[in-house]
Formats: sequence, C-alpha cells, structure tokens
Amino acid sequence: MDLRLSKEEELIQKAARDFADKMIVPIAELIDQDNHIPEEIFEALGDLEMFGIPFPEAYGGGEAGYLSYILAIEELAKACAGIAVVISVNSVGLSVINAFGTEEQKKKYMPECMTGKKIFSFAFTEPGTGSDPKQLSCTVTKAGDSYILNGNKRFITNAGFQGPMVVIAKDSETDKASAFVIDKFCEGYSLSEQWNKIGAHGGPLYDVYFDNVKIPEGNVLGRSGEGLWVLKVAMIYGKIGLSGLFLGTAKAAYEEALAYAKQKTHRGQPIGAKFQHIQISIADMAMKYNACRWSAYNLGFTADTVKDPNQLLREAALTKVFVSETAVEICKIAMGVHGSYGLMKDYKIARLWGDVIIGPQVEGTSPLLKILAAGIILGD
Amino acid sequence: MNIVVAMKQIPDLQQVRIRNRQPVLDGVPMTFGSIDKNALETALQLKEAAGGNVIVISAGTEELEDTVKEALAAGADEAYLVLDDELENIESSVSAHLLAELIKQIENIGIILFGEGSGDNYSGQVGPRIAEILGLPEVGYVCDIELEDSRVKVTRSLEDCEEIVRVNLPAVLTIMADINEPRIPSVTQILKAGKKPKQILEVEDIGLDLKGDKKIITLSSLAPENKRKQITVKNGEELVDALLTEGVIRR
Repeated sequence: MDLRLSKEEELIQKAARDFADKMIVPIAELIDQDNHIPEEIFEALGDLEMFGIPFPEAYGGGEAGYLSYILAIEELAKACAGIAVVISVNSVGLSVINAFGTEEQKKKYMPECMTGKKIFSFAFTEPGTGSDPKQLSCTVTKAGDSYILNGNKRFITNAGFQGPMVVIAKDSETDKASAFVIDKFCEGYSLSEQWNKIGAHGGPLYDVYFDNVKIPEGNVLGRSGEGLWVLKVAMIYGKIGLSGLFLGTAKAAYEEALAYAKQKTHRGQPIGAKFQHIQISIADMAMKYNACRWSAYNLGFTADTVKDPNQLLREAALTKVFVSETAVEICKIAMGVHGSYGLMKDYKIARLWGDVIIGPQVEGTSPLLKILAAGIILGD
Repeated sequence: MNIVVAMKQIPDLQQVRIRNRQPVLDGVPMTFGSIDKNALETALQLKEAAGGNVIVISAGTEELEDTVKEALAAGADEAYLVLDDELENIESSVSAHLLAELIKQIENIGIILFGEGSGDNYSGQVGPRIAEILGLPEVGYVCDIELEDSRVKVTRSLEDCEEIVRVNLPAVLTIMADINEPRIPSVTQILKAGKKPKQILEVEDIGLDLKGDKKIITLSSLAPENKRKQITVKNGEELVDALLTEGVIRR
C-alpha cells in the first residue's frame, strides 16, 4: 500500500498553494470584510485550470482526478474558504452535467465553466423543503416544446455570477422531480439580497426567484422525472469538494495556532515551549488534522476508483461529516491556544471560526448525512 | 536557438524542519532551487520573445527524473539529465564537469542560464566553472537581458550601481532572484510534463569517477549563530538611544 502522492498530484497541490500564497493570502482579509472576491482571481484560477481539475480533457478539464481536486481545494480553502466554496459548487454543476448531460449540453456548459468567467450554481433547497425532495414546490409546466418554471429556491451559492444553473423542480402533471439547466439572468430570473452568512465570505449566497422562466425541452438534464438521481450525484460530488474545503480550514486553524504558540511569549519563553496544556493542544490538533487528511484523501482516491454510486455516497457523506465536525474541534482548540486574543476579530483565528462553524450544517447537516449513510450501510 | 537552463534538485525548503540545527529531510519532496526557477522563467520569456527551444539540464539522484517534471510543466521543452544515486551532495567542480558534458551534447546553443546560487549551498561556482570548461564568456548578477541578433545586452545588478554590458553568444549568464516572478503551471501542463522528451545519461557515459578522491568535502554549511543582545528599554527615548548606540540608526 503506497500512500505517497504522485509527482503530478504533488505539483497540482503546489500550484494551488503557490497561487494561494501569492494571490489570495494578501487579500483574504479584504475578501472576508467585503464579502466579495475580485474577478481577476477567478480568471487567474481559470488559467491554472483549477475549476476543471477532475473533468474530461475533451470538455476543457484537466482530467487529473478527484484526489488532485481535493489537494487543490485544501490549499485554496486554507487561504480563503469563500473561493473554495465557489469552486466546489461550480464543480457540483460540472459533475452532474458530466454524468447526465447530452453531448450538446456538455459542449455548451462545461468548457465555459472551467475558465472562471462563467460559474455554475445548483438549485435544490427551497424555503419550505430543507433537504426533503418530497416537499419540492418549484414547478415546471409543459407548454409546447418548452417548460415553464415557477417558484423560489433558497441559499443558492454562486447565483449572482453569470453562468448556468441546474434546477430541480417538480413536473406539475406527473408530480415527479426533474432536473433542468438554465442560464442565470434569463427572463424571469431574479435574486434576493445576498445572505449575510457567518463565514466563507466571498462565496455568495442568494435566494432565487423564477417567474415564468421558459426552459427549452433540450435543457432537461438526464431523463425527465429522474431529477432525484441528479440530486444524488450532486450530493456525492458536493461532499467531495466540501471535505477538501473543511480540511483546508482545519489546517489553517492548526497552523495559525502553531505559529502563535511559537511566537507568543510568557516571561520570555514561547507558550508552546513553556506550557504543557498548549503542547497537548498542539498534539490534539495535529492528531485530528492527520485523521481528517487521510480521510479526505481516501475519499478522493475512492471517487477516482469506485463506480458504485451508493458506496461513493456513503463515503462522501461520512467523510464530509467527519472532516467538517473535526475542523470545528480543531478550530476551537486553536482559539484556546490564542487565549483571549482568539476572541478578537483582529486575529485571523476569529475569521477561521466563522469558516469552520458552517461546515456541519451546509449541504446536508451532519445528522441527515449520518442517517443517509446508515441507510446505505444497513441496506448492503 | 537553444536556451539551456541548469537547475539543481534540492529538498523543498518550505517543508524542511530543523532539529538540533540539522535539517530533517525524511519525506520532504524534491524541487528545484528558487533562483533556478527564476533562470527558467527568464529562458521562457526569451523564448516567447524570440522563439527557440528551452532545454533544462540537471544532474542528481534517480528522483530527478520525477523532479524535472516541475520544470517541464513550467514550460521547458525538453530535459537532459545525468542520473545516479551517487550524485548526492556532489561538490561544485563535479557538478560543473557533469553539466558541461551534457551541454556538449546540445547543438545550436545561444544562452546558458544559471541561478546566481543554488537553493541549498549557494556556492555560485557551477556557472563560472562551466564557462571556463567550455571557453565561453560569463556574465554574473544579471537582472535584465535584451536579445540583439548574435549578442545580448545584459544589465548587471551590482552593490550600488547597475552595469550594462554586451556579450557575444553563446554565453553563460547567472541570474539574480529579483529578475522575474516564476509562473505557476496549469493542471494540463503538469499532466503533460511527463510526456516531454528527456535524454538520460549515466555517470559512466560521461567518464567521471565519482568514487575517486573527493577534492572538497563540505562538512557544514550552517549560518553563524547570532547571539541576541536582548536589550531592555522602558520607553521610546531609551529605544532610540539603544538603536543609536548599536549603530542600527544614525542621527
């Protein structure tokens, strides 16, 4: 069993790290304050092909696999969680088009969403549904060779960027959910004010309103009435991105605390060298980060090698729960190392707390994902 | 015109930990020295301006065959390598002989670029030694290069001035770190790097005896230990006085 990364994986990780150090770290605080990521960052990430790491070369991707994707997301999230959120959600859209799209849909939507100039959204959640697909209230009605979409979606990441959006809506005649691809900002598409979430700033979140949005028949994604399959695949690939993302925020918190323990002195001696409870905190964070790292990397490896969607969904759900919850634990310990300073927004660790605390609740809460995984385990 | 860039494989210094004043190298991935990457970037910019082919040369342990992918991903067109596990911590004169033999195998060379010093020992000797072996002109401390047909106009960054010289090609130029910012390769460039051509030689092909008497053995290359004075001051006035006394600032 060889757990070493290949040279190519190492270099993709390094490319993401070098870009993050050079271009993101200097403006990360500003992104957090303004809740806005400059467009040049997306274009530069597009030039490096960071939006398309695991996707087929034929559609503009890097075809480097999901382990490489996780390695890159980890490095980018370590510098700025919001940027990693944008890429992760964009990848959800790309994943479902790649899995279910027609050749025409793939050629139309995939290359443009790997450049950083167009960015995917995925719209499932609604004000009344949470994660329950049976309560969908967004509807489509067949009208000639088109569908007419009406309803609202809640907490939709990237909805304010130009690009396509995958929408899950219920057919008013059959009562079955189908998936559609629409162009954002088409006629009848509008947005709420941006939600002011606790962390991962720069990854914008909106409610979306559809008012008689006309969708051509050719924009059905997958087979009509099988939208929940699209949702399942979206859940899998969303969790892969988020596992890399919260691994990155965990590492950022750990490294921040480590640096503080070496730099902060008490009566002339660094607190990391002087106090055993600081040393135990460092060990706890190292131990937890290592467990997260291998867990997330294993998920990338699994996504590259396992084809069974149930097995992959189980692994993705459990890994996301473990990594995101452990990231909160790591960040809490890291704040403890900072003492009272950890509570001050002037310190980076306070920003990281906002980034990690959202983890166990986004894209499926931990309890929901555990129940989902348990159902698969019990059914095996 | 072929533009040759000599690069040295070293451990990734960002990931090296220090224990008892010695580097811990276990598990640290190999990379190239940072100024070597500036030299490669210079070569790539010259190629973009005037065409040509960028060839990386290097000598090192077997791992180098993997490490060189980093330079090929950044844009080098091919690599000439000498691989041998005996080539660890070799002294500058041996490196110079090995690389000079590699250079002899390359035709139509215009410029041979080096970083001003390697990322580990920073002896800065290999470039000048190779110029001597090959009988080529050598210009050091280069901070700007302009191509002029069969010559180059080179700006040298000296301590308190810049010197501009013209030199006939082929020539050896050693590059300063601040000449440019090395580019970051894209995912596709990284994945295609392994498919670019590589010429691999063994030490025997060059006829050097690595196991013979070594002329120079590096025993240690540690930075001198600085003892901190730890001067305590009570206010700004005392701080200024202390800085004046220590010669850090002047009135």
